[in-house]
Amino acid sequence: MTVRKFPARLVALLLITARCWAGAPSEYEVKAVFLFNFAQFVEWPAAAFADARSPFVIGVLGKDPFGPQLDTVVRGETVGHRSLVIERYRDVGELHNCNILFIARTELAQLPHILEVLKGRSVLTVTDAEDGDPAGVMIQLVNRSNRIKLRIDVGAARAGSLVISSKLLRPAEIVGGEG
Amino acid sequence: MASNAAPIRRTLMNVLLLTSGAVMLTTCLAFGAYDFLTYRRQALHNLATLGQAIAANSTAALAFENPEDAREVLAALKADPHVVAATLYTQAGASFASYPPARAGIRPAVALQDGYRFESDYLIGVQPVVQGARRMGTLYLKSDLGALYEWLQSFGLIGALVLAIAYVVAYLLATHLQRYISQPILTLTDTVSVIAEQRDYTVRAARPEGYEFGLLTDAFNHMLERVEETRARLQSQLGRLDLLHRITRATSERQDLPSIFQVVLRSLEDELRIDFGCLCRYDAKADAGSLSVEAIGARSLEHALEPVISMQSRIPIDQNGLARCVAGHLVYEPDVSTIEFAFPQRFARAGLKSLVLAPLLVEKRVFGVLAVARRPANAFSSAECEFLRHLSEHVALASNQAQLHGDLQSAYDDLRQSQHTAAQQERLRALGQMASGIAHDINNAISPITLYTESLLEREPNLSDRTRGYLVTIQRAIEDVAETVSRMREFYRAREPDMNLGRVALNRLIQQVIDLTRARWSDMPLQKGIVIQLQSELSAELPDIMGAEAEIRDALTNLLFNAVDAMPEGGVVTLRTGARLTKSDEDAVPIVYVEVADTGVGMNEETRRRCLEPFYTTKGERGTGLGLAMVYGMVRRHSAQLDIDSVAGQGTTMRLSFVPALTTSLVAEHHPTALHMSHGLRLLLVDDDPLLIKSLREVLEEDGHSIVVADGGQNGINTFCAAVQGPEPFSLVITDLGMPYVDGRKVAAAVKASSPSTPVILLTGWGRRLIAENDVPACVDRVLSKPPRLIELRTALAELTPVSTQTRRQAQ
Repeated sequence: MTVRKFPARLVALLLITARCWAGAPSEYEVKAVFLFNFAQFVEWPAAAFADARSPFVIGVLGKDPFGPQLDTVVRGETVGHRSLVIERYRDVGELHNCNILFIARTELAQLPHILEVLKGRSVLTVTDAEDGDPAGVMIQLVNRSNRIKLRIDVGAARAGSLVISSKLLRPAEIVGGEG
Repeated sequence: MASNAAPIRRTLMNVLLLTSGAVMLTTCLAFGAYDFLTYRRQALHNLATLGQAIAANSTAALAFENPEDAREVLAALKADPHVVAATLYTQAGASFASYPPARAGIRPAVALQDGYRFESDYLIGVQPVVQGARRMGTLYLKSDLGALYEWLQSFGLIGALVLAIAYVVAYLLATHLQRYISQPILTLTDTVSVIAEQRDYTVRAARPEGYEFGLLTDAFNHMLERVEETRARLQSQLGRLDLLHRITRATSERQDLPSIFQVVLRSLEDELRIDFGCLCRYDAKADAGSLSVEAIGARSLEHALEPVISMQSRIPIDQNGLARCVAGHLVYEPDVSTIEFAFPQRFARAGLKSLVLAPLLVEKRVFGVLAVARRPANAFSSAECEFLRHLSEHVALASNQAQLHGDLQSAYDDLRQSQHTAAQQERLRALGQMASGIAHDINNAISPITLYTESLLEREPNLSDRTRGYLVTIQRAIEDVAETVSRMREFYRAREPDMNLGRVALNRLIQQVIDLTRARWSDMPLQKGIVIQLQSELSAELPDIMGAEAEIRDALTNLLFNAVDAMPEGGVVTLRTGARLTKSDEDAVPIVYVEVADTGVGMNEETRRRCLEPFYTTKGERGTGLGLAMVYGMVRRHSAQLDIDSVAGQGTTMRLSFVPALTTSLVAEHHPTALHMSHGLRLLLVDDDPLLIKSLREVLEEDGHSIVVADGGQNGINTFCAAVQGPEPFSLVITDLGMPYVDGRKVAAAVKASSPSTPVILLTGWGRRLIAENDVPACVDRVLSKPPRLIELRTALAELTPVSTQTRRQAQ
């Protein structure tokens, strides 16, 4: 019995060690995956795309905190049959066809303006602002004791004609339901 | 009965129950297998559904790395207690969340193939977790098979319950339904066992419902009928065979035809139940063939509505069945009333309608007919006819054997009789030889007495009457002696040619006998104090008979002596004569009879039968056994009849019956006065008996002859030869026959040789025999028997010598 259990434990130990060597994923690494994953759980209306061949665009507004991480995550991926494109904006006016817009912390100050611009457009807005109340942003990524949590403003999403999967809502914190 | 019938019932029950049991079991197993497979599929499906639901709900948790949420989702598995383990793996293969939580990381995801399957005792599901087209990870599910086992358990339980109930129902149904098959068979079996036990083939099985069973029972009953028929036929056949056997045995024990016939008829009446039976004999030779009835069954006689046939009646054979029957065929008339011939009509009138005529055949020859009849028409079966045919063969055979036996018996009796007669003849012949020798000597011895007595009576005129009377008695006695001795050897002969038949007056003869024997029946018994009374009842008008007086006298004397001897205590002797007609009806002839009756001891059967045999005597030493034999000889010689009536203890009557003489006598009375006397002859007398020579010489010399005597044959021849050439030749030679060395024949031959004309008289004690046997020698002119009687001598001399010789002699 002891002899049999020994390899199993050994394997488990080796796996844990490997993971430690590889290093735990950084915060933005995780957030990059989350951004990509939002594409899986949210439905955009057809009007959000110029045509059927239009790529799925993930945009980053403001100072890009991901570095190369985001590109690494989406490389080679598709959303449905659409290819994935990462676009970076310094200003909200730059964006044309964007589906997911990550609003960096640097742009929080201009948030009302940004939201104003995006109003009526089917753009999933995501921010990772830790403090304050980024009202109007659809999904807020919150770091709680080293785990990234979601806070979703259902009303904002509905205003943007986006349908957020209930699955996404399960692990998230829901706000502004009435909006 | 139930135990007997159990096998078929049990077998039927077993068949029904096994069949239904097998069907039910197969059905249960089939359903079970089907349900099992369905259940497995269902289990897989259920697990897949569960897996898919869990996986779908886990995508977000995986995508946004929320293990708590994932665990929450997995915790829903609690609802299914059989899911023992579940693990959610990330796409990279790391364990993300587990259920139950304690068992995290139970299995590395890399080794898992997608899909749901049974592995050993578990149901394993590996469900990809996919959001849209993107795979987020893998859900591993492990469910134990407890549900399956529970299902199996409940299924088995319900199955067993259903089986049990179904079996009970099937049993009840089978118990009820098997009767439809077993009951008819058991009924048949019962019938069969009844038949087997009681051997009663008249039993019939009841016909059950149902076509095939009815058919089977009908066939069975039909077979029983056939068996019964066959059995009855065999039984009657056996009975008839037995009857035939018994009759055959009974007949074989009998040897006479009447009793054989009676046995056959009685057996037929008793056993074959015939109403009439008779046996007839057929004689083909007699008047163109007719039957004579030999025997009629006893009961057949009783029936006699109208006497069909009576015993010994003759039945003519007309052109009816009888003609065919005597031709050797068995004839069966089923109804005689339709036949017009006389013989069948006799039966019809007597109320006997069916008639069978069976021929009695021996060696293809019909010698009789067996006729049996019954009252109803068509009453004889062909088997009975066949039986009667066999029986008639046996009867014929037995009858033939009886007849052969009878023939053999009578042949044997004849043979024995012949043998007896031959022995008796032989005995008599020996006696005769002996007697003739004695007779010869006696004749010689009494010759002088005869000669002298005769001579005295003739030549002495001065004899007193008394002397003359004595001499006459002597002469008669001597004559009787001579007769007696000459008859001694001849009493067995039939009538002899030389027997002197004369008229005999029986009454006179009886008086003589009474006189002669007075001493014997009166004086001698009186000395012993016995009184014998003698009565004579003589018929006055008695015809004479023809006979030899001396013989008859002897016979009567013998009978009288026997009568006296038969009465040792005294009694009455009756001598009776009479004349009557013989009893034989048609040509009744008159007869004359003499009876000698006594009141003595009588004779028993054996004595009565044997009393006529020579040497048979009941008198011990005193008897010679010749008396009655001589009487019988006399009776035969006289063609008379001897009847003996004797009752033991009451007396005997001996009756001699003679044919009376014709009124005119055919035999001339011998007349001594007509004698022609010769004188003066020269005679040569040759004899070896000096006494005879002396007496003869003296008698002849007194007649005036000159006598030369020669005392022997040779001597005589010499004397004659010496004289024949001389001056005085002998004119006649008298020679004795029996002499030593040279007998009378030689003497006669020698005389004739030297002088053929000289007559020769032969004197002989065997004289009568010589005459009887025609043995007179050629050289002898006359034979005279001893004792010579003077009168005979004189006659012979006178006849043989010519007168010339005598006259010449006288002249000289």
